[in-house]
Amino acid sequence: MHLLEVIDASFSYKSAKIFEHISISIGPGEVHCIIGPNGCGKTTLLDCILGILKFNAGEIKLMGRNINQYRIWEIANQMAYVPQSHAKTFPYTVLDIVLMGRASHTGMFSSPDMEDRAIAEDALAMVGLSRYKDRPYTQLSGGEGQLVMIARALAQQTPLIIMDEPTAHLDFKHELIVLETIVRLVRDTGLSVVMATHFPNHAFYFANHGINTFVALMSNHSFMAKGHPDNILTEENLQSVYNIYAKVVTQHIDEIGELKQIIPVGTLANNFQGGQTV
Amino acid sequence: MVKQQGVNITGKKIMYLIILISPFIVIFLSLFIGRYPLSIDIVTQILWSKLTSSATGIPEISQTVVWDIRLPRAILGALVGGSLAVSGAAFQGLFRNPLVNSGILGVSSGAGFGAALAIILFHQTSLVYLFAFCFGGLAVLLSYFIGRVYNTTPTVMLVLGGVIVSSIFSSLISFIKYVADPYNELPTIVFWLMGSLATARFQDIAIAGIPMVVGMAGLVAIRWRINVLSMGDKEAHALGINTALSKGIVICCATLATAGAVCVSGIIGWIGLVIPHIGRMLVGNDNKLLIPASIALGGCFLIIVDNLGRVITGSEIPLGILTALVGGPFFVYLLKKTKGGGW
Repeated sequence: MHLLEVIDASFSYKSAKIFEHISISIGPGEVHCIIGPNGCGKTTLLDCILGILKFNAGEIKLMGRNINQYRIWEIANQMAYVPQSHAKTFPYTVLDIVLMGRASHTGMFSSPDMEDRAIAEDALAMVGLSRYKDRPYTQLSGGEGQLVMIARALAQQTPLIIMDEPTAHLDFKHELIVLETIVRLVRDTGLSVVMATHFPNHAFYFANHGINTFVALMSNHSFMAKGHPDNILTEENLQSVYNIYAKVVTQHIDEIGELKQIIPVGTLANNFQGGQTV
Repeated sequence: MVKQQGVNITGKKIMYLIILISPFIVIFLSLFIGRYPLSIDIVTQILWSKLTSSATGIPEISQTVVWDIRLPRAILGALVGGSLAVSGAAFQGLFRNPLVNSGILGVSSGAGFGAALAIILFHQTSLVYLFAFCFGGLAVLLSYFIGRVYNTTPTVMLVLGGVIVSSIFSSLISFIKYVADPYNELPTIVFWLMGSLATARFQDIAIAGIPMVVGMAGLVAIRWRINVLSMGDKEAHALGINTALSKGIVICCATLATAGAVCVSGIIGWIGLVIPHIGRMLVGNDNKLLIPASIALGGCFLIIVDNLGRVITGSEIPLGILTALVGGPFFVYLLKKTKGGGW
């Protein structure tokens, strides 16, 4: 059974069409990367999936049931959310933040109990930040902060996590730490992840590490291609979506095997044509 | 290391308990403070005889001073201070802004206008309470509907609505001051706006205490939700809470508490902004601890300031003047001592 199905969905703000006829199905243990240029509607699509915005047409099925039949807290028991950037206002402790992942299991007029606290501590251990649990989360680095957001999503104990550009603003190392964490969680717990990203190489990263990975290439208000990274992230597709000339290369690394990567060579406006400068 | 952390946590728990019981100690101590000196056994005898309704040989005047003047005033101080502080703490979390106070949605200026209007129209205390309470509530409703766009209430729009409504009511207060009779009505309005607990009687507590206690109890009940709301609408929704409903409950409770406080005591600034921050320094930012601590600290603080206002000079100094004068230096001291508590 599919965890989440988006069926023929369209969305527009008043007169501005954002996307139309979008469909996607997510099964257990899968990572789906939604890739597309700035402003193509990735975040809007995620907001619709999370129930913050409503499609103009089409439907979402969560665990086989139409999402409109769910209460807000029931949705939060099935999918969690990791934001792109989180505005930190008050210096809550790291554990306080992760505990908020238990909100959908906590009544309006009650607080998390000892069991919730244990779940939150486990979630923090899963991203390797147990040592920071009593620190103000405002004092963490950007990468650690993002891991705390992932721990909060894990504390929701959902089969599916939606991530909106989880590695935006992170340095090289922290980007890799977040990706490694996602790989480990998907492999160990069978979690599914839907992730909007600007980096096609993220999809190759997951595929290279043996994760069941899918790419949806978003362009011109719709998915122009969907499927395994090898078939979708081709030089022709990148050229038509981004107007760039890119090269897909394979490198053998002893410990891992074949690693696929995209090397961006140049924009077409810069007179690159098939690698030849004209 | 582990052991030290254990000690640290126990120390924090003890401090939290001390904060929670401190209003009761301060209420008791304030029974001794004033121009009419009373010893500890006389005060305890009076309290005992009143609570058990038994007779006592203590002069009537001492009994009146303790039971009818100092005790209701201290209890009212605790309720008003607690209401203002807890509403401020709740609004700071709700609006994700550490600089907002209990009057952010216009309740104080609305209540001030209601009181000023009642003073020039009726010259009667009970109607002043009623008008202050109703106009305080009305101001918040107006802010809420101004801030409402496309069936949602973004926090920025709510704050903007509050600022606009506050400024409108402030202008109306100035207008009433301008047209008021300068010999009788104007001083009454000015003194009311500066805040005082001097009129406190048990009847006042019984009436104005209801919205204050209901509002405070509501905020205590929903306090952990305020943590989640402070993550912002989108994240709070994704975490599984109904943001519109939760926000509405928090605003209702905070408005009830603040309007109840303002209608009996006038406009007392500073508490709703700074006491929550003193709480944050002492118990941290988790609203689970911060909300009860704000009530206790706000209550203690207002009773202490009110006692000072009663004894410093021959005539009473209005509370609105003293809160910042006394609280400011204390705040700076705490800021230095706790190094700001992680901001």
